[in-house]
Amino acid sequence: MANMNLYSRGDRMFVWLNMFLIGVFALSTLYPFIYIAAISLSTGFEARAGNVVLTPVELTFAAYKYILVEPAFWRSYLNTFIYTIGGTLMSLAFIIPGAYALSRPQLYGRRFWNLMVAFTMWFNAGLIPFFLNFRDLGLLDSYFGIIIGFAVNGFNVILMRNFFEGIPQSFEEAARMDGANDFQVLWKVYVPLAKPAIATVALFCIVSRWNGFFWAMVLLQDQDKVPLQVFLRHTIAKLSDDQEFSDTLFTQAYSAETVTAAIIVCSIIPVLLVYPFLQKYFNKGILLGGVKE
Amino acid sequence: MTVENVDKPVETSSFAQPTRVQRIVDHLKREWQIYAMLIPLVIWLLLFLYKPMYGLQIAFKDYSIFRGITASPWIGFEHFHTLFGSEQFVRALRNTFIISFYTLVFGFPMPILLALMFNEVLNQWFRKSTQTIVYLPHFISSVIIAGIVITAFSPSAGIVNTVLGWFGADPIYFLTKPEWFRPIFIGTGIWQEAGFQSIVYLAAIAGVSPTLYESAVVDGASRWQMMWKITIPSILPTILIMLIIRIGNLLEVSFEMIILLYQPATYETADVVNTFIYRQGLQSGQYDFAAAAGLFNAVIAFILVMGANSISKRYSRTSLW
Amino acid sequence: MAGVKLESIVKRYGAVQVVHGINLDVDEKEFVVLVGPSGCGKSTTLRMIAGLEEISDGQLTIDTRVMNRVAPKDRDVAMVFQNYALYPHLNVADNIAFGLRIRKESKDKIAASIKEVSGILGLTDYLDRRPADLSGGQRQRVAMGRAIVRDPKVFLFDEPLSNLDAKLRTQMRAEIKRLHKRLGATSIYVTHDQVEAMTLADRIVVMNDGRIEQLGTPMELFLNPANTFVASFLGSPPMNLVKATLGPGENGPTAHFAGQSMPLAPLDALQNRDGDEVIVGIRPEYVDVATAEDATQVQVNLELVETLGSEALLHATLAGDPFVIKAETQGNAAYLQKVTGFTIKPEMLRVFDAATGHAVPGQDRQAA
Repeated sequence: MANMNLYSRGDRMFVWLNMFLIGVFALSTLYPFIYIAAISLSTGFEARAGNVVLTPVELTFAAYKYILVEPAFWRSYLNTFIYTIGGTLMSLAFIIPGAYALSRPQLYGRRFWNLMVAFTMWFNAGLIPFFLNFRDLGLLDSYFGIIIGFAVNGFNVILMRNFFEGIPQSFEEAARMDGANDFQVLWKVYVPLAKPAIATVALFCIVSRWNGFFWAMVLLQDQDKVPLQVFLRHTIAKLSDDQEFSDTLFTQAYSAETVTAAIIVCSIIPVLLVYPFLQKYFNKGILLGGVKE
Repeated sequence: MTVENVDKPVETSSFAQPTRVQRIVDHLKREWQIYAMLIPLVIWLLLFLYKPMYGLQIAFKDYSIFRGITASPWIGFEHFHTLFGSEQFVRALRNTFIISFYTLVFGFPMPILLALMFNEVLNQWFRKSTQTIVYLPHFISSVIIAGIVITAFSPSAGIVNTVLGWFGADPIYFLTKPEWFRPIFIGTGIWQEAGFQSIVYLAAIAGVSPTLYESAVVDGASRWQMMWKITIPSILPTILIMLIIRIGNLLEVSFEMIILLYQPATYETADVVNTFIYRQGLQSGQYDFAAAAGLFNAVIAFILVMGANSISKRYSRTSLW
Repeated sequence: MAGVKLESIVKRYGAVQVVHGINLDVDEKEFVVLVGPSGCGKSTTLRMIAGLEEISDGQLTIDTRVMNRVAPKDRDVAMVFQNYALYPHLNVADNIAFGLRIRKESKDKIAASIKEVSGILGLTDYLDRRPADLSGGQRQRVAMGRAIVRDPKVFLFDEPLSNLDAKLRTQMRAEIKRLHKRLGATSIYVTHDQVEAMTLADRIVVMNDGRIEQLGTPMELFLNPANTFVASFLGSPPMNLVKATLGPGENGPTAHFAGQSMPLAPLDALQNRDGDEVIVGIRPEYVDVATAEDATQVQVNLELVETLGSEALLHATLAGDPFVIKAETQGNAAYLQKVTGFTIKPEMLRVFDAATGHAVPGQDRQAA
């Protein structure tokens, strides 16, 4: 199919036009990131004057210097790592054994337990009861609260369960006859077999933890504990509201815009670094979640 | 050995069988570890998702922090009366539906279109790299996306106004104008998610048998004809399922993004039910009243999701979860 | 090694009973094959012996111990699965050693066992490979190795050859037979393939619909099928079954059908039953072909001759029903085209009661 020479002239035009349109869409996706990077590297004056379009104007690292000496920035960066790693491990600790149990035909009340998981995807008590519950449990303002409070997500459980169900029962039976107990069957046989699904679930957890901001903003008052996204949000809000900051400093090397842009770049970089690894799995993963009861 | 028919139907034997209780004990002795694996998950669900459902009763109560959920007095449907008398809530409800509707109308076809276009790209390198680029925004947090939007639409520094300036237009304070909020919000959503959502359709297209295309080529069909006569009909079931899911989740406006982008000047067009709940409940502390709004929202969403699920069950013989 | 005893074994799923009381005594070192069409309950029976399915009623004894409520791992049985269930993340050596490691055997013993078993099965050169890098036959051998290494009391096989192609299946069949001879292990083997059953078994259990139809050595079952089900299940091609009516003849009872007749053996059970419906079983191999010149013959309409080399299958119809004859070609298949009918000795026929499908008593032949 790939031999263009076999194509009619109409087909060739169609193919080229299509490629052109895709190229335009891809560039429009990419442009905002380039634009932000350019702003972050321009002087505050030029950025403020709207002179930055594609490349840095009067290249400077002033905005980065401003942000990188801020202890709160590093603190929140560290917090994000804590929440991402701790949260993902916590999620896997709940989801892998739970989903395995739900996938076993010998489990009594299997339908009921599965319904219990599925129901949480259909009906949600909402922001307020969730928040009050969190407060009543004494989990406000704590690392542990954030890590455990968002560990389970019905979709991930069902994704994992579907994958376990797809592994032939005879693997469990063979291991059983070899003398393995359920923990050994799960750990020595099913976990290695389910690596793609586990990677997918871990990926979903990592992405949502890294990006999550709303509940961190609501549940954490202590600014020493907030993750990067909340710090970023506070900083953006502070810079754009703070007239004094912008008026007195706009002639300097950095401005509200360039500092904002610099923080954005700093928080995107880790995502870009792991993005190639992510890509390997999310194609598969989004489909694993599949359409199946 | 003599040949005889050994088939003697036996309905009950003379062998003592374990009683029901013994069977359950045997089962637990042998399978207790499976229950041990399930218990943490169940406890988590009860503690973090089902207990708040119990807490929903404050929607019918005069909730006070000091008395707690159970001891607060019942007041019936008073919060709901107030709610529907509140212009703000009705506005939020209307905004929710309008934003959802436009998101569906403009956002739903985009990934399909993208998938069809990607499918027509012959150069694998070009296809891979453009796909990589358009999936990227999905992995970027809404705070960053909002930051980019705020910067790009800023009146003085923003690129949008810079470009408008080239055509002699005066700068527009986009994010303070109610009439601009929805286009910006919906456009941002499409920009962020369309690429990633196209994966589902690309997978559906990948499932189409290549022999269909080969026989069409032999019959002299053009690429354009093949797209309309083979690709689109083949992925139609997927499109319908995705449409049903989207309708089921109609109320799920990404309110995090709205919180990041709206301001009092744009509440008129931007405030949705969840942002209303956030302000009333978490910012102003009217927990019971906000919980009532949340309950209303959750019930409507539940009905939509169940409806969508039963339709898709009938349609595809598999349900969505 | 030990015997296995099934007494009135029943399996129910809720209200549905799928195995209706199986009685079976497997002797020590015996190779017993459960054979039957799919859904006949043979796999369920095997899985009850393994402990993978709960026994609803009856009693299972392995080596004098009642096993009904014993967990699979404590029954000291090993099983080879249809899909082998080889762990794809482990290499051949680790697959074989899996059970020993779980049971916390010493490192030295494990190493020695791997060496011994891989030697027996010719896997020594493949110990580092993953299952994905093995051929079908090699995977099959690893699956057997995993069972052998534990030195269990009883081996269970659940259709172990059905995933292999025809040629490999024949080869592995012989290998299993050799292995059994060498290890002398009590084995219970499930298959739907009657050729496997015939070639492997010391005794065959033919099952249908959750019941045992017949139990005996391969030759007993081949010569003396107890009923029409067994008759049509074993043998390839299977026994021809011709509906007929009993009537008088020159030399005692005679079968009449579609204007023709066939003398039957003078069995007591066939006396004075003129007018009764019977089914006459005719093995394709026991027939002598006849051409137009031969005077006495049962006439058939020949439709097709399939030449297999030394033998040929003649596909014909008799009274409208398909009828198959197996004949020797003797290097010249052309004369087979002229076949118009056949003759057969009365004692080579097998007569079944049409109403019950059971063989008429008194006609059993001694297996040599």
